[in-house]
Amino acid sequence: MEPETIAKIIDTLKAERIDLVVTLPEEPTSPLTETIRSDPYFTSVTVASESNGISLCAGASLGGRRCIFVTGIAGLLVGTWSLAQMGVLYGIPVLIMASYRGDIGDRSGVSGAQLFMFQQLAEPMLNTLRIPYRVIKKNDDIEREIRDSHFACREYGTPLVLLLTGEVLW
Amino acid sequence: MVKRFDCLKLLASWLDEHALTVTSRGGNAREWAYLRPQGANFHSLNMGTCMSFAVGLALAFPKRKVIAIDSDGSLLLDTSSLVTLADVNPPNLLALVFDNQAYANMGATATARAADLAKMAQGAGVKKASTITSTEDFAAVVKPALAASELGFFVLKSESGRAQVKVDSRLIHGRPMLEHFISALLRHPDYQGKSSAGKD
Repeated sequence: MEPETIAKIIDTLKAERIDLVVTLPEEPTSPLTETIRSDPYFTSVTVASESNGISLCAGASLGGRRCIFVTGIAGLLVGTWSLAQMGVLYGIPVLIMASYRGDIGDRSGVSGAQLFMFQQLAEPMLNTLRIPYRVIKKNDDIEREIRDSHFACREYGTPLVLLLTGEVLW
Repeated sequence: MVKRFDCLKLLASWLDEHALTVTSRGGNAREWAYLRPQGANFHSLNMGTCMSFAVGLALAFPKRKVIAIDSDGSLLLDTSSLVTLADVNPPNLLALVFDNQAYANMGATATARAADLAKMAQGAGVKKASTITSTEDFAAVVKPALAASELGFFVLKSESGRAQVKVDSRLIHGRPMLEHFISALLRHPDYQGKSSAGKD
């Protein structure tokens, strides 16, 4: 993830008054989460499992705190139990940003079988959980997509996922 | 051993209208809804989600006391939440874990067996964590903890079984419960989540 991409994401989060960032770091987004961690504007929480990160964000979001959960596809798979509870059952808005591991173009060194597993499961899993998502490939789209998705997830009343790939991630 | 209903009855008498509470499923939700029908109570969070949800709520309402009423089976499903709890260390959160040492809805199937949940919390980094085995100790320990600005985590060794109370199930499950909770939140002057009404 390039510095200008990170800066654009952080500027947009601040413009949206999102000041609570919850994450379980993974390789492609770690430069972003490390930068956020060092920025005093944000309250940064590192969780020990994605499921409790999503539950934490749901509690914060329902309480009116603007927050985002930063993870990857593997994290979404681990967090499906909480996503089902907070999303399908309660309709609590939780904005999630996830690296789209396994998308075409992922040359990050993960084994091909793992990449293919992520590619095969990511979007069907989100569709199964009835979670809206957007795939962001271009840096020029970051600001608009974050703003629109943050608004939509609160208005719809649902978790919503931004999948980062293409020039945004690799 | 404590009787959960006795402890919850005391707890209800100590809380003001502004306290926020979160419960796991089963007897915790049913008995708490009976004892505290009013106020911001989020009931029946499913296995493994109660503690982290309460941490999030505590971060959203730093000036309010948040009380998590969890159970041993629920906590054990996601013990990593103890690490998050210790790491965030919200001073306005009081965590109560009723430990009847069984998956009570299914009968007598044991949960933690030899595990000590308070020591697990201590091991995760929670400074104020202990086990309570009598109602007298509950009053002596938990009431002052409610007034303190410090995270408290208390495991309550409790008898199995539930109090026979009648509760409208809509108060403790799903969207109707959620609507009730949000209505209570809207009465809090420091609630930040008013509808954006299509503007931003």
